[in-house]
Amino acid sequence: MASLPKRIIKETERLISDPVPGITAEPHEDNLRYFNVTVEGPAGSPYENGIFQLELYLPDDYPMEAPKVRFLTKIYHPNIDRLGRICLDVLKTNWSPALQIRTVLLSVQALLASPNPNDPLANDVAEEWIQNEAGAKATAREWTQKYAKKVEN
Amino acid sequence: MGNVPTKAEQNDPSWRNNNPNSNEAKRTRNRRAVSLVSGAFRGNNGSSQSNVGSHRRRTTKEREQDKEERAKQLVVKYNENVDGGFLAPFGVYGFDKLDYDAKIVKTLIKERKLAPFYTPLQDFDESWTKEEIIKIVDGLPLHSSYEENLEEFDDVPVGNINRRNFDDLIDRTLSKKDQRRQRSQIFRARLYKKRILWQEKEDELFLEKKLASRNPANEPDKFLPSDDLKYDLYKHGSECPICFLYLPGPMNYSVCCQQPICTECFVQIRRAEAHFPHEEIDPTTHAPREEEKDPNLLTSEPASCPYCAIPDFSISYIPPTSRRTGFGGIPSGMFTIKLEPEADTPEEMTPRSRSKSLEGASIITSDTIRPDWELKLNKERARLVRRSTNATAIHISNRLVNSAHMTRRESTQDNHSSNSSRHTPEPTADEIENVMMEEAIRLSLEDSPGDKRQKKRSQTMV
Ligand SMILES: [Zn+2]
Ligand SMILES: [Zn+2]
Repeated sequence: MASLPKRIIKETERLISDPVPGITAEPHEDNLRYFNVTVEGPAGSPYENGIFQLELYLPDDYPMEAPKVRFLTKIYHPNIDRLGRICLDVLKTNWSPALQIRTVLLSVQALLASPNPNDPLANDVAEEWIQNEAGAKATAREWTQKYAKKVEN
Repeated sequence: MGNVPTKAEQNDPSWRNNNPNSNEAKRTRNRRAVSLVSGAFRGNNGSSQSNVGSHRRRTTKEREQDKEERAKQLVVKYNENVDGGFLAPFGVYGFDKLDYDAKIVKTLIKERKLAPFYTPLQDFDESWTKEEIIKIVDGLPLHSSYEENLEEFDDVPVGNINRRNFDDLIDRTLSKKDQRRQRSQIFRARLYKKRILWQEKEDELFLEKKLASRNPANEPDKFLPSDDLKYDLYKHGSECPICFLYLPGPMNYSVCCQQPICTECFVQIRRAEAHFPHEEIDPTTHAPREEEKDPNLLTSEPASCPYCAIPDFSISYIPPTSRRTGFGGIPSGMFTIKLEPEADTPEEMTPRSRSKSLEGASIITSDTIRPDWELKLNKERARLVRRSTNATAIHISNRLVNSAHMTRRESTQDNHSSNSSRHTPEPTADEIENVMMEEAIRLSLEDSPGDKRQKKRSQTMV
């Protein structure tokens, strides 16, 4: 138990050697269970052209327990609350140990492409999304421009 | 269990005949509210508590001893093996997560209905020669290395762990509740240390036996694997898709989608914690609070397949044809590889041939190896029933106090009845019973099959 489980080592190696398009995940040097993640907003969504920073943590019981994932970049989305917490089935009841960091991040990207206001985490956003979808999407685009703009480094 | 009314109390109808204004009636009022309401729950799901009620309450020490016995069952013994694997796990996952019934699992392994626990390799290189493989396998311990000192037990005294009694470690100046908490913490810390010691002892014995077997003057140890067995095991292994470790085959396979899973990962698959059904909530209304929910709605679904998410995950296992050693077979030390033309193509099966030979194989689920799952769910329900009936009793008594307050105000305005004992400010028995019935009916209505929440549950479970 003292050392990092083989599974985490192998997943990390594979994430680096065979990265997912539009997603990066790099472990912290001092804590190999903690990852800095970026996800590009999917084309055609209000999050297009945005780069979102997330943090991902693999709990002690991973992979029997889901990774903990949170948005660090502010985002206007019915399934993501003010604290960046995400309402996503695979992170909760539908987690399976056969899923991986890779698949979880792909699901997060898919959630940006198709929000689900009927299973909300941010009630105010969900309400707006149901009552005035065009307005909500405009706000989401605005926030993407404001908080998730690509920065040249 | 402390507050659950006994069967006698629930069924005793005598209080109805008591004088409602007697002191006895007043004193038992609270308890009646509790038993009446929990009776309403029982009426809806009579089976939910029968198991719990019939269980004799064991003492703390008996429970501790059971836990220790269970933990001992999870130590790998080099001389208890089946087809080159063992009856207890290597230790890929933590101690706390080994909650299966060890006796059942051991029996299933011996009967070759479940793959044995193999010692995993971190990696495997196809180019390794037979000699290299044997050398690597010879260096493998029985157990993974555990952290000697866990942070959570840093300040916990463990005393002399060879002594069974540790009462002297408990701080008697603490409250009873804190003493219990301290005792359970000390017990867990001691058990953790003991498990590491038990494992180390077996690993040392294993090493000694291996060293002794190198001396040709010694009688060979029939429990130690022959070089052919080591090679046969690891040459034809594969990576488990869940732990990513390299293990000898054949593995267990999911019945639904024919995906492999090692036994150490399989015993980690369990029902999710008991929970209330997840509801898609209208964002414009308030979600009910956890304590307002009916404990009988608490559910726990069987585990789903980790690969294809089909409910009721089950596996089956076809034992190797090339080797049958240990329990029910030849001694591990006597195994030799029979040289056949296809010696290098092991029992690789296509999904079709596998599902054909699976006909008749036993099917194992995570409930098979945890027969106590239902008892645990019922205990959790009973705990919630207690909590919510306590809340209801408080709620009712608040209403009684309020109505009593109202009565008193009215009676002071009306000066006639000031010294009449008949006009007590307290509500009459009828009033109490009405309030309690109201509450009981409200609660039981929430549980009726036509209830909206019930419908939602069946939807989400599809
Ligand atoms: Zn595994
Ligand atoms: Zn499946």
